[in-house]
Amino acid sequence: MKLPYRMLLDFVETKLDASQTGDLLTMAGFELEELETVEGEPVLNVKVMSNRGDGLSAFGLAREVLAKEPHATPTILYERASARFAEAGAPPEGGEGLVTIETPDCCRYACLLFAGVANGDAPDWIKKRLRQAGMRPISLLVDLSNYVMLELGQPMHAFDLAKLEGGRIVVRGARKGEKLTTLDGVERELAPGQMMICDARRLVAAAGIMGGLDTEVSARTSQVLLESAHFDAGSVRRTRKQLGLSTEASYRFERSVDPEGVVAALNRFAQLLSESGSPASSSGLVDVYPGRHDPLSIELSLSQANRLLGMDIEPAQAKSYLENLGFQVSGDGEPLIETPPSWRPDVVRECDVIEELGRVHGYEKIPECLPHGATLQGGVFGLEARVDQVRDCIVRLGFSQLMSHSLRDLHPLDSGGTRVGPRHPSSPEMAYLRNSLLPCLADAAVRNEGSDLHLFEVGRVIAGGGDGPVEHRNVALLSVGALCPPNRQHEVAPQADFFSLKGALLEVAMTIGAALKLESPSTTDPRLHPTRQAMLSCCGKPIGVLGQIHPAIAETISLPESTVMAELDIDALCNAASDSATYRPISRNPAVRRDIAILIAKALPYEKVEKSIVAACGELLERHWLFDVYDGKGIPAGMHSLGLALQLRKFGGNLTDEEANQVREKAVAALAALGATPR
Amino acid sequence: MRTVEELEAEATAEIGAAARSAELRDLEIKYLGKSGLVTGVTRLIGALPAAEKPLFGQKVNEIKQRLQALIESRERELKSTEHASQFEAERIDVTMPGRLWRSGQQHVLQQAMNKIKAVLSGLGFQYHESPDLELAKYNFDALNYPKDHPAMDEQDTFWIDDERLLRTQATALQGRIFEVTKPPLRAFAIGRCFRNEAVDRTHSHTFHQVDAFMVDEGISMADLKGTLGHFARSMFGGEVKVRFRPDFFPFVEPGVDYAISSPKVFGGQWLELGGAGLIHPNILERYDIDTKRYSGFAFGLGVERIPMIAHGIEDLRPFLENDLRFLGQFHG
Repeated sequence: MKLPYRMLLDFVETKLDASQTGDLLTMAGFELEELETVEGEPVLNVKVMSNRGDGLSAFGLAREVLAKEPHATPTILYERASARFAEAGAPPEGGEGLVTIETPDCCRYACLLFAGVANGDAPDWIKKRLRQAGMRPISLLVDLSNYVMLELGQPMHAFDLAKLEGGRIVVRGARKGEKLTTLDGVERELAPGQMMICDARRLVAAAGIMGGLDTEVSARTSQVLLESAHFDAGSVRRTRKQLGLSTEASYRFERSVDPEGVVAALNRFAQLLSESGSPASSSGLVDVYPGRHDPLSIELSLSQANRLLGMDIEPAQAKSYLENLGFQVSGDGEPLIETPPSWRPDVVRECDVIEELGRVHGYEKIPECLPHGATLQGGVFGLEARVDQVRDCIVRLGFSQLMSHSLRDLHPLDSGGTRVGPRHPSSPEMAYLRNSLLPCLADAAVRNEGSDLHLFEVGRVIAGGGDGPVEHRNVALLSVGALCPPNRQHEVAPQADFFSLKGALLEVAMTIGAALKLESPSTTDPRLHPTRQAMLSCCGKPIGVLGQIHPAIAETISLPESTVMAELDIDALCNAASDSATYRPISRNPAVRRDIAILIAKALPYEKVEKSIVAACGELLERHWLFDVYDGKGIPAGMHSLGLALQLRKFGGNLTDEEANQVREKAVAALAALGATPR
Repeated sequence: MRTVEELEAEATAEIGAAARSAELRDLEIKYLGKSGLVTGVTRLIGALPAAEKPLFGQKVNEIKQRLQALIESRERELKSTEHASQFEAERIDVTMPGRLWRSGQQHVLQQAMNKIKAVLSGLGFQYHESPDLELAKYNFDALNYPKDHPAMDEQDTFWIDDERLLRTQATALQGRIFEVTKPPLRAFAIGRCFRNEAVDRTHSHTFHQVDAFMVDEGISMADLKGTLGHFARSMFGGEVKVRFRPDFFPFVEPGVDYAISSPKVFGGQWLELGGAGLIHPNILERYDIDTKRYSGFAFGLGVERIPMIAHGIEDLRPFLENDLRFLGQFHG
């Protein structure tokens, strides 16, 4: 809210300048966002919290200054406002039956009728202050009602009484099909229940938001019905959102307006109108107030307040703080009994009053302590600790971690199934929740020029399910190009492929002690190369996929065909983790190596070769590895040559050449049984 | 037939003239080997009179020892010059670039998250995660949001259906914890949050939040301030001070925003970090926690704020754009 500083000074006398006052308001909870100079005078731009509608006026902020600043004093205008401008006595009551309220969303509706109005220009000083507050001067009646709103926080609306059919007001919910053309000239179709002001025949204003065009005051207006009412915050908010029409009035009603200040605003308007030299005479006040609330009574234990605030506030201090804010206070502190003022609907229980005490006393007086009490075990445990371990391991393996948007557009690498997205997406580019991390990694690979990249992400994906959306936490990896950074010319780095990524995944699984299995999938994943993909499983349950990108997709998204990717459910992997390792003593005797070269059918899975070697060699086999695969010149079609290394070692004695050869022979015999021929 | 003296003189001259250590090996064989010349001389001993035998044998042995010593000393000389020239030939330019190892790295936000986890763990808080796709029950209702409160304006939410939404605040963890844990408790969450906001340098529809809270007997605003002070000093170092200002969040009362300042680190400026306060008694009562006995505090902050402050990053957008030229600037 923009408020000319001089309007605040109308209500409070202080030695503080505009900037110091702004700082004080900030510490009271009304943040000074900007201090501008408009037409040569300071203007405060104050951010008012959504539960503090009482701060949306000069009077309201003056109250805060008076509460926080002991040297500030109230002005005569402040005293008059506190007395609700009733010094002239109440205007004559009149107009029995003129106002009918048919909705619970309007708890009070008051209006003042004027005759003989000359709706010319407002006085220059008022127009200037309105301009400083960012409002456009329009006419005397409109400007005065806006000015009173800035002073007191009560929105008002002036109707041309001559244009109000039947000269009466009905407050009710809109009916199906009703329309209203608002002051901005827009015809608006209304939804049932939106609170409206009507005359005898038609709608004349959207309650608390904007008046209607038909009953607008003009230069020819002489009879006026000036509305000052209290509308329910939630109702105004709903209608404002539905109509997409936000105004100074709706802004205030949504943040609550003092129901007891309704008539005060009418009084103030009448005074300003008469001071402006207008010949108008007020002909009667109507005040219908069906929704009057009994004031609350809140008990506060000052010792409890001091304990929670970590400060020491004396009973007399506490009493004075609250009274300055308009609370009625009785009792001595154990308990203090207080009644919050009508403009503070946000104060409903003890904790709210404690906040008032702390705020006014000053949060800067709170000391820093560390909590004492039960010692609790802090940390990251269980599944979350495993996930951290996996993430660290993948980084160690040379992958760079990414974090991508969850909301995105469709992508060829999306997983299958129904999709989930926000009910009202803000743009087509973010209409869906990702159901796979692979599109994110692919986008990042493209963004980073698509070569020599090793990327991963741990993130949540959301897919549609029979019983609604299902969320998973996944880890995905993408690897393409040189496995180590190129260094000098003529140096050839090994390239990423299915097996380099498989090796990385197995390393991750080993780090957390999870048994990760790879097997040929029963149904292929259409995102991957049909004959270069594997299903990943843990404890017999499929948890993900690994493979080379499908060449058609690679072409569509401009990534190399050699790109390999994997994605798996990281929670499922981590739930299969295990810490159990049993110590085995190590042999102090030397190892012996024996190699085997065989010719064997390509169709025979290597897994079988491996199993038969392990079974044949027995416990002397310490380690074995495949050091060569060859299917070039001299090898019959459908066959390949495998070079296998056996590392043999005995516990408690040296292995003789003869013993080693015997083991090798057993392995060769076992492989022959699989159809292999030695080379 | 040369005398042994002549033989020694000849060998001494040849050893002294040897230019390479390999020549010395040859000379060693020539004179001192099994069928070497000096060795051959010892065979003559048989033909000498018995009285001369010991003396001759001694003399030949002395010659052998002298020649052996001479060869070794000459070899040391030659080796040292040979090494010098070998080392000169093998000289490398140590200023040429190192051969790079591939090393992975953590996302800059992950680095911040890890640090937050370490600091809060040390203060006795236990880490939890909650889903991105959250129930309105936990995101709003359990956190004391009245229906239709204008505060909801600031949280324009991505609703999925009538009950589910994309979490707008990591505070959504609180209800989930209170459902299953009785005080005393200290817990924290780091989670991705979503709000329907237009993206610019300082706003994003997707960001990350930390929310930490504790409930115990006698917890006060002073405990909150002390915990935040400790947290901020651990994150940023230096003599960081904490400032509270009144603010409004439905789930805390009193509610504050907190800012930190340090004369050294931030040039005395106040940097707003997040919101905090004492957990609203309405929330504790909802979970049958006796508010006469227990009170609690909660605080939250945006994870992005940490690297923004620490590294001087002025734009939120690069955090989720995955440009390695950005991410590569922050090693970890």
